[in-house]
Amino acid sequence: MKQNTFYILAGIVGLIEVGLFYLSVEYRNPMLITGAFIIGVLLLYAAQRRITDRQVDERAALITQKAGVTTFTVFWVVFFATSLGSAVMGLGAPGFPHSSPPPKGGPGVLNVSLNSPDAGPGIPDAGAGVPNDGLIRLGYFGYIQLALLFLMFFLYVGFRIYYARKYGEWETDEEQD
Amino acid sequence: MKNRIKVFRAMHDLTQEALAHDLGVTRQTILAIEKGKYDPSLDLTFKIARYFGVSIDEIFIYGETA
Repeated sequence: MKQNTFYILAGIVGLIEVGLFYLSVEYRNPMLITGAFIIGVLLLYAAQRRITDRQVDERAALITQKAGVTTFTVFWVVFFATSLGSAVMGLGAPGFPHSSPPPKGGPGVLNVSLNSPDAGPGIPDAGAGVPNDGLIRLGYFGYIQLALLFLMFFLYVGFRIYYARKYGEWETDEEQD
Repeated sequence: MKNRIKVFRAMHDLTQEALAHDLGVTRQTILAIEKGKYDPSLDLTFKIARYFGVSIDEIFIYGETA
């Protein structure tokens, strides 16, 4: 197995884990994600032992380093942007100590809560045991962040290919074939 | 940085694979250096020069691109 194939496999396994985590929460079944996580780690451990093109020289190290730093930079920006969104959701959620209602007629449509006057009659108050909308959305941001984390594996492979090409991989010469 | 590794390889009747093996790098690294796609570290530069028994500036020409 090639090294890049391993990273793609790691990304796929990670995304499956996020899906199983979602199902685990939906079905209130902690064993599902616990078991899946252990199986996922074992699978990646077995796959990692099958990597055949593990090259350790200065050029390979440079490619790994460049791809890692660039992926981290992109990850930082994307993760920070997502975290900003989740902070707005969390701080604006009804029931949060410092939350205030969104301005009337303003753009604050993201924070429509179950106990707002728009929600209509008969809907119980958020403090009465019903999870409020803002907090539910905050949970979904967690899923997005987890998915982003594992999507970075694919980005990392992309950057590895880019830098490998930049530093002479797949150049043709007289000794090929 | 331009270099004459290919010339020195030919003079010593060496393949990229053999040179890479002796220097402890991969063939792709030797290929990338020859094509001017990758500038070797100072350590590898010294190794290459010593391997062929010449000074560094006989192999590498600073300031020129391949």
